[in-house]
Amino acid sequence: VKRRLLGGWLVLLLFCVVVVARARYTADLAAFLPASPSETQQILVDQLREGAVARVLLLGMEGAETPVLAALSNALVRQLSEDDRFGRVHNGAADVLGKDATFVIENRYVLSAAVTPERFSPSGLRAALQAQLDRLASPLSVAVTPVLARDATGEVFEIAERLQPPDGPHYRDGVWFAQDGTRALLTVYSRAPGFDLDAQEHALDAIREAFEAERSKLGVPAQAARLLLAGPAVFAVNSRSAMRQDVTRVSALATLGVVGLLLFALRSPRIVGITLLPVVAGALAGVAAVSLAYGSVHGVTLGFGATLLGEAVDYAIYFFGGAAGASSPRAGLLRIWPTLRLGLVTSLVGFGALIFSGFPGLAQLGLFSCIGLAVALLATRWVLPEISPAMREPPLLRTVASWIPSGNAHWRPLIYTLAGACMIWLAVRGGSVWNDELAVLSPVPQSDLRLDEAMRSDLGLPDVRHIVVVSADSEQAALEGAEAVGARLDALIGERALAGYDSPAAFLPSVSTQRMRQQAIPEEKLLRANLAKALQGLPFRQGLFEPFLAEAAEQRIRAPLQPADVRLSVMAAPLESLLITRRSRTHALMPLRGVTKPETIEAQLRAAGVSAVLLDLKTETDSLYRSYRQRVVAFSLLGAAAIAAVLLFGLGSLRRTWRVLAPLVAAILVTAAFISIVQSGLTVFHLVALLLVVGVGSNYTLFFEHFAGCDNKSEPQRFSLVLCSLTTIIGFGAVGLAQTPVLSMIGGTVALGAALSLLFAALMAESKSRIEDCVRLKGGRR
Amino acid sequence: MRAFSQRTHAEAKFVEQKHLKVLSSPLRTSGRLIYIAPDRLEKLTLRPNRELLLVAGDAVTFERVDGKRRTLRLQDYPALWGFIDSIRGTMAGDLEALQRFYAVMLQGPEDNWQLVLTPRVQVMRAAVSEIVIHGTQARIVSVEVTEARGDRSVMQVREAGP
Repeated sequence: VKRRLLGGWLVLLLFCVVVVARARYTADLAAFLPASPSETQQILVDQLREGAVARVLLLGMEGAETPVLAALSNALVRQLSEDDRFGRVHNGAADVLGKDATFVIENRYVLSAAVTPERFSPSGLRAALQAQLDRLASPLSVAVTPVLARDATGEVFEIAERLQPPDGPHYRDGVWFAQDGTRALLTVYSRAPGFDLDAQEHALDAIREAFEAERSKLGVPAQAARLLLAGPAVFAVNSRSAMRQDVTRVSALATLGVVGLLLFALRSPRIVGITLLPVVAGALAGVAAVSLAYGSVHGVTLGFGATLLGEAVDYAIYFFGGAAGASSPRAGLLRIWPTLRLGLVTSLVGFGALIFSGFPGLAQLGLFSCIGLAVALLATRWVLPEISPAMREPPLLRTVASWIPSGNAHWRPLIYTLAGACMIWLAVRGGSVWNDELAVLSPVPQSDLRLDEAMRSDLGLPDVRHIVVVSADSEQAALEGAEAVGARLDALIGERALAGYDSPAAFLPSVSTQRMRQQAIPEEKLLRANLAKALQGLPFRQGLFEPFLAEAAEQRIRAPLQPADVRLSVMAAPLESLLITRRSRTHALMPLRGVTKPETIEAQLRAAGVSAVLLDLKTETDSLYRSYRQRVVAFSLLGAAAIAAVLLFGLGSLRRTWRVLAPLVAAILVTAAFISIVQSGLTVFHLVALLLVVGVGSNYTLFFEHFAGCDNKSEPQRFSLVLCSLTTIIGFGAVGLAQTPVLSMIGGTVALGAALSLLFAALMAESKSRIEDCVRLKGGRR
Repeated sequence: MRAFSQRTHAEAKFVEQKHLKVLSSPLRTSGRLIYIAPDRLEKLTLRPNRELLLVAGDAVTFERVDGKRRTLRLQDYPALWGFIDSIRGTMAGDLEALQRFYAVMLQGPEDNWQLVLTPRVQVMRAAVSEIVIHGTQARIVSVEVTEARGDRSVMQVREAGP
């Protein structure tokens, strides 16, 4: 039986190792956004995860002379354009009016917003021709002359002006450069969705390789030219690898600390090895379960692997502590088993709440903790007694045990007062205790964010903060809605409520608008007469505009532009990112620039009579996060209530339950108050950490209550308690040193909370025992 | 050419005639030119419309009547490119820089010289066939740009002082 048990155990472990090795790892904070938000929120989350915004990579090159950087830029565009992994690679060398102009020229009358019936009246034509003359007089004349005969009214310029933001990128040597001319700029659309970090990482590697190859081809020394990368995908990939390093470092540190401490305290490598068995088994099983259940494992979950070390190692320590005073390991174990079991159930109930919270990231944490702890305890119960040697009393025992202060009635009122004060303070702060800015959780370093911001502003890309989303049942309806909204926004630009906007309708007007524009062109005879009137006194050559008259007549009867036509053209990428169809609803996205009066814009949107909302990405993500936090609080409270219920049921006495809970509640209140002061507010992750404190701390208080009630000679148990809390503090303390904000938040909070739980439990413990409680526990259910 | 390289600042009035094939009569504009060594050039057109063309190093911005600013890519405007290059190169007295992009021919006496520039670069040659600069001493008197398509602009320059 013993051999079969161990054999089965090993097979299970092996299976877990295989699953863990094959698992996919992510570091995407969007995993901690709710899985089922409202429709507009879903658009937002999708945009962040896989939209065009998430897929655009910003490349900068600096360090070399301008001509060298320009040559590198062009070489990189050639190289990357051939790579299937990239959609559009752009460095400004071919712009809308450059060699890609054909599409714009051919479709100018349906694309130009300036096309109205007045445009072709004698006075309208006169004004348009006068504008053309002004252009001819300007240094830009060379762009006018080639198309003038076809495009008498200058529609190509009207279109270009709308498409090109006025403060677009600067040019040096024919390609985009930062304003000061030291950095060449490119934009690259990666084809892979933003959340596919493996693909994004490969894409980034491909860019770096291409850069290196072109650099050495041009004979530029490595130190003379640097490649800079920015954009959401870069951040995601970087923070994943940073988190990976962080987790590795933290786990190594925690393992080293815990193992060192155990070696020092237990003086037996073999026993230390056995002590770590449940931890390893638990962590493997936890990661394997998450990988199987969710398809990928989040970096934060992995960080928990290190923290689990803190709690699961306790089981083995309790085991050895129990064994030390008993006739055999098994007998010792059986003595503490009911308390261990109750501790586990308490933790399971606490973390179980997270699994059902509806947030993929948190559910992972919950599942990981539940499975990890359960497996660790099962290993302690069934595997450890079979393989551990008889335990002698550890030599350091008495010294270490004396570190714990003894319970004293004087302490209790003091702790109650402190906890009460913290509770009042938290209650008074109310909602402001929370820090709802998602930015505090961001693992992206400030320097990266500044680089991104600088390149974005040099490229004249929208700041991606305000977006109007117009939703409709069809593409045409969405485009019509975008046009209605666009008309309102045009008026608001005049009022300086915003500086400008992008619209899918600029790339593909709705069919009805196209028809309207076509109908605005008069019959050839009338147009010819109007033109003749308009041309009087203007210096245009006789008969110059014959091609214009012919094309205008053709344009009147042509078929309107369809989405498919645009998708084959240079306009494909912008249209694709601004017009999105999902689940039979089409959304037109209109990013705004330089918004100064969001309320005015919102009022106009309501008046426009279409289904349109103004999303403020910052407040929207923050409010998304706030509602998310509220739900997590609710789930945590539910978990806490369930824990109390389990304890009451397990201990069978209200008074004993209170004795177990009081130090715990006090520790949590003090920790929460302290953290909220020191770290400028609490986040969801602090909350999760507090839940973890309940899990770990309840073991301490349970054991204190247990020992206080039953054992006269409680030194071995006190010893194991000190050891347990030290390992926990080391484990979580190591996590607290992590660079990743989320991990350091969790680590620091749990380390503090666990230490306080132990301290309060010791100080509040009753020195006199109540025999009947003890008997019930000893004879308790097995 | 050496006389030019000693000047750090120059200001002049200009009158430009554009002879375009699409027009039956030339377009006339006038305004002021300001050069600051080594590479800053401002062309402020006052008539018929107020426009400002600002060149500093490689960066070119164009500001229109309505205050709208645009940054330009010189490659898109070869004639403008040639015009700017030739004036700046001449004003800076940098014959070498001129020779990098143009075949340079200098004729005539010091008080009535003529500089003929023919583009070497393919992009430019496709658009500009010749730039001729007339001058006396260290002053530019006129700049004539002939485009490959046959359009031509002639700018008369009258300097306010040395």
